[in-house]
Amino acid sequence: MPKLFRRIFLSNRPSGSRVADLETRWDPYVTLRKLQKYQITKTDACHYGFLGTVLLFVFFVNPAPWLAKLAVYLLFAVLFVVPVTSQFFFNALPIFTWLALYFTSSSFSAEQRPPITVQVLPAIETILYGDDLSDILAASLNKPLDFVAWIPYGLFHFGAPFVVAIILFLCGPPTILRGYAFAFGYMNLLGVISQNLFPAAPPWYKLIYGLSPANYSMKGSPGGLGRIDEYLGINLYTDGFSNSAVIFGALPSLHSGCATMEALFFSYVFPKLMPLFIFYVCWLWWSTMYLTHHYFVDLMAGSVLSYVFFQYTKCFHLPLPEPSVYSRWSYGELRKFSVWQTDPLSASASDIENIIVPAVENSEMELNFLDNSETPSIFDHDRSVSRSSATSNISLEAQDDLVSSSRTNKQRID
Amino acid sequence: MVHLPKSFLGFFPLYLGVEIALGITILNKCSGVYGILGLITGHNLDFMQWLLYITSILQLVMYSKVLKHIYNPQVLLFSLALVVYCLDTLLTCFFTLWFSGQWFSAKNREFDNPNSQTHQSANPGSSSKLRLRGDSLTSQSASQSTEFFFTILLTLLALASRFYFNSILLAFVQGLIRHPKYSLDIDDVEQDLKNQNWLIRNWKKAQYISYKWCRHYLA
Repeated sequence: MPKLFRRIFLSNRPSGSRVADLETRWDPYVTLRKLQKYQITKTDACHYGFLGTVLLFVFFVNPAPWLAKLAVYLLFAVLFVVPVTSQFFFNALPIFTWLALYFTSSSFSAEQRPPITVQVLPAIETILYGDDLSDILAASLNKPLDFVAWIPYGLFHFGAPFVVAIILFLCGPPTILRGYAFAFGYMNLLGVISQNLFPAAPPWYKLIYGLSPANYSMKGSPGGLGRIDEYLGINLYTDGFSNSAVIFGALPSLHSGCATMEALFFSYVFPKLMPLFIFYVCWLWWSTMYLTHHYFVDLMAGSVLSYVFFQYTKCFHLPLPEPSVYSRWSYGELRKFSVWQTDPLSASASDIENIIVPAVENSEMELNFLDNSETPSIFDHDRSVSRSSATSNISLEAQDDLVSSSRTNKQRID
Repeated sequence: MVHLPKSFLGFFPLYLGVEIALGITILNKCSGVYGILGLITGHNLDFMQWLLYITSILQLVMYSKVLKHIYNPQVLLFSLALVVYCLDTLLTCFFTLWFSGQWFSAKNREFDNPNSQTHQSANPGSSSKLRLRGDSLTSQSASQSTEFFFTILLTLLALASRFYFNSILLAFVQGLIRHPKYSLDIDDVEQDLKNQNWLIRNWKKAQYISYKWCRHYLA
């Protein structure tokens, strides 16, 4: 096994490269010394201020015994200070904050909670998408479809974040896991905050109670997953969803958000497999509606939240993956995306690339073939030659020259 | 002349706004696929739904193609995208009005029905004294006016964001047209499209026409 691991992941390791190295020290003073030298930025102040506020809120509101809460917080403090554990646990702080808030949500009293809306989501779904899509897709039920829907919603969803994290850690550029933890944690955290601030009934509620008023004494429902419990002779989903921490948390769908986030990160590292990841998200969307857990508008809200956080993380945190490199140990250096230098509108007019040249017959009428720097887009599979240069009427040799000359003027800060 | 934004959210470059706008639009246009998928369950679609879902699927394909080129934009392709996006914005407004009308008229019919479960019992106007929220089960549910308020608010927010994204795309294409790097002299171009198939020929033609419009109104 170690031989296989070495052959797959370590065979192309550049000599002297340390970017993929992990922290192996246990001495807490290493972290404390780093902390002494650390100078906080505005962004970090907002980041830690926000997460700290949520954690403080959870500390006071969570009904667990004070001693138990203190013990948990101290345990995490130790994990954050010890370098070997800190590199994983501290970077996952947004995820822990989300989980802390989620499991505290069930303890909020009805007096503190906003009123539950029952009609808003089906109304928005009809107004924006022309019909009650979730209702239509759940109209025709059968056993094989139940299992097809169960696989992404009831199985993959719970294991996928861990699988994605492990694969990103092994196959993505070093530090990508931090970005994933950041985006994934924040997406879920804002999702749970939104679910608490805007409680809305899911489609299963409409099927059971119609559009009649809801209240917080009502139990949750497993929706279509109840049928899976029946088939398998278990009570897993019925128990779980009946006592969910956020029963009226239809908006946004965190199932959709998680699947989209996983698909976006995987597409970032493995762009050639993007159709497969898109298929997974579409499959999960369908199963979510088929199992009557979310309206289409909830799915969109979750996916949009993921997309926005992914874009932010891509621009400001993620390292650029190198094409055809699928091992963290194969990276010799880390490069990051430069938001400002990648701007297609930012190129100076005095640049030789920006001289106006009349378009010629049969050309694609585009003169931007010179612009061929690598991009972090999950859509640009072929980073070697741009479409424009490949289809222009300039000879291939000339194109090669142009491409290589443009590479010397690449738009990123390495 | 309408003033277009110079940056996305007052801080980020326009291309980031376009990337986010197109990404969000693509996600939303997936509704067309699920709307058509509803046919399998035996659901019938009316003309307006067919129109909405078919145009959504076509735009899904179009915007996906455009998004691929966000870092290496082609002025012709983005001009076409802008024209389609503007038409889509108008169409979205129309569909929003149409389906809002359908939803609210259906609600009215439900209210006229005395057996309907939809009536919200917690009507704040009917209560003579203020009550603490949550002190009774009925007060834990949103009143009918709250339901309407949030429905209208979310619909308006969706439309407002749509208009904002449209203005970002307008500003981006204006930037492309005005930038020397992307300048084109379309009058000098001899278009040899006769040997191309029907789809490509019309695709290119649509790009040229869109570019002319954009240059006329934005340059």
